[in-house]
Amino acid sequence: MAPQLAVDRHARYFRMCLSGLPQQMTSLDAARMTFVQLSLVGLAALGRLDEMVAAGERAQMVEWIYGQQVLGDGSADCAAYCGFRGGSLFGPHDLCDNVAANSGNVAATYSALCALLLLGDDLARVDGAAIVRALRLLQQESGCFAPHPGTTERDPRFVYCACAISAILGDWSGVDRDAAVAYIVSCSNPDGGMTQAPFHESHGGHVYCCVASLALMGRLDALPDRARTLRWALQRLGAGYQGRVNKPPDSCYAFWVGAAVEILGGHDLVDPSAVDAFLMQCETRFGGIAKWPDAHPDPLHAALGVVGFGFCHPDDLPRMSPTLLLPAALAERLPTANR
Amino acid sequence: MSQQEEWKDVVPIPQDDGKNPVCPIAYTDEYREMTDYFRAVMASGEVSQRALKLSGRVIDANAAHYTAWVYRKKLVLDLGVDISEELAWVAEISGRHIKNYQLWHHREALLELLLDPKQVALEPQDQRMRNPDIRRELQFIDRVIDQDSKNFHAWSHRQWVVRAYGLWDQEMAFVDTQINQDVRNNSAWNQRYFALTRNQAADAFVLTKEAADAEIAYVIDKIKLAPNNESPWSYILGLLLRHAPAMLYEDLLPSINALASDKNGALAVVSTPFYWSALVDIYEKQAEVLDAEQRDAVKGLAREACESLAEQYDPVRAKYWKYRKQELTAQ
Repeated sequence: MAPQLAVDRHARYFRMCLSGLPQQMTSLDAARMTFVQLSLVGLAALGRLDEMVAAGERAQMVEWIYGQQVLGDGSADCAAYCGFRGGSLFGPHDLCDNVAANSGNVAATYSALCALLLLGDDLARVDGAAIVRALRLLQQESGCFAPHPGTTERDPRFVYCACAISAILGDWSGVDRDAAVAYIVSCSNPDGGMTQAPFHESHGGHVYCCVASLALMGRLDALPDRARTLRWALQRLGAGYQGRVNKPPDSCYAFWVGAAVEILGGHDLVDPSAVDAFLMQCETRFGGIAKWPDAHPDPLHAALGVVGFGFCHPDDLPRMSPTLLLPAALAERLPTANR
Repeated sequence: MSQQEEWKDVVPIPQDDGKNPVCPIAYTDEYREMTDYFRAVMASGEVSQRALKLSGRVIDANAAHYTAWVYRKKLVLDLGVDISEELAWVAEISGRHIKNYQLWHHREALLELLLDPKQVALEPQDQRMRNPDIRRELQFIDRVIDQDSKNFHAWSHRQWVVRAYGLWDQEMAFVDTQINQDVRNNSAWNQRYFALTRNQAADAFVLTKEAADAEIAYVIDKIKLAPNNESPWSYILGLLLRHAPAMLYEDLLPSINALASDKNGALAVVSTPFYWSALVDIYEKQAEVLDAEQRDAVKGLAREACESLAEQYDPVRAKYWKYRKQELTAQ
């Protein structure tokens, strides 16, 4: 019999996360939107979203998400702050003399758009023009992206968010694609992996962001050595996927690395039993998947673990897009998303 | 806070989470109160010592609060906060948030304010190494790496410091120490490439024969210590593939063969997947420059190595090695 995840238990876990997170997760407060997205992704990847979230409640969730949209006032001063913020921790929307206090963030914008699509929203109330304008202001000379104004943070995570946002909105005018591709290429490590910045260590999360960004831009051909990048990703699989050379396995890399393998065409080269065995060790008694065996679950590892498991069992679970973290059927309906 | 004289004049702004919040977090009363006041001071853009202190409390409770970091940086500048004191504050909270990106970026921004890289670059390097601020920064990184030798942020930050202040002369010695402490520390092996190339772009860096030979000898030495260790194998293959591909078969191959036939260590080396997969890479590269007859022979060796990997030494990647073998047949 094919290995199976405890689908019911995990569905209840994601459902519980949508209803509330424990006090220990206060450190996720600024990224609540991402945990909303991941809880919905988890349910969708298990094929339980419709069943666990009733239509009326979906409409309420859609309202909460739109409540996080930073609309700006059309002025140049506000333009870079537009998009979605990470949660209601920021704000308020109306009282701000200090526009920087209530800032959107490309990661939250990406999460919000995915969450809205998962909830069946048509994005009609999304101010796409403002979002695309903000992206244009957040792209750096290097081609990389900052997540929001006022920070020196910039790395492939935000390039990925910018690409995913553009693909979802079907508007690439906020991204200088040649510059973004050049930045990604500069992040290739000689070992075949991809990095946060030139000369940094290859890392499964950045491999995903770089490879998925190139795929969304239709530029996978720009990878300096695609075969070697695929090899690097496949090489991460031992007793589960690890994120870096000589590091212990971690359930989230079943997605980060597993999805990169899918995008690079390596699906048939993976031994699913090695992926399964580790993820099943990370399943927890009351639902959810932890980072490691015997640890506490969290929505990120749970959702990414389920999606990673699904890549190995495409006939048993709903097919998910490796480039957008949406159900494949939904991703395929998007205007310009490549695959 | 509502009872404190200091905050009497501030009207807190409660969080507006709407009628039906999604993923609400069960905040402590303390967190809720401090963020209510924090929203108020941030909304007005207040520049004050109390705002600075409050931003510190909020960041310590929730280090991913991205606008709090932006606000704090502005407060540091506008209040003329002593940068060394601010660096000390970052160090103080760093133990609890060592994997937080913003903390490390804040530190970089502070260092740039304290020590202008352009000015420092004018000094001789031994003088730079004696600069108390640079020494303190390197010691801070050392402490983090001592606790977690593979901390991604600490290594990234170290690259930034070395590059910004031009501290190249000592970097290889640091890398050696780290590799000697843990020969499996891939972060240290990665730093070796950074130190060797001194941050030069792939097409600008010239790997001399002498330097490449030294790296091969170094790697062979470390493989002897722990043959089943991906890091040195992947380091040397990556280095030569990128900068001196002919040396793969002219120099690295004989060294590996010598290692594999060494009476004492042979068994340990030839039973690792890394030995066999290195052979696949090397033979494949060599085949590109040979005439037809020799090419077939070398490809045959590569196919045999793939077979050994699939059947015996790397079963988890059996499908991959069979695919590689097939590709070597088809070419």
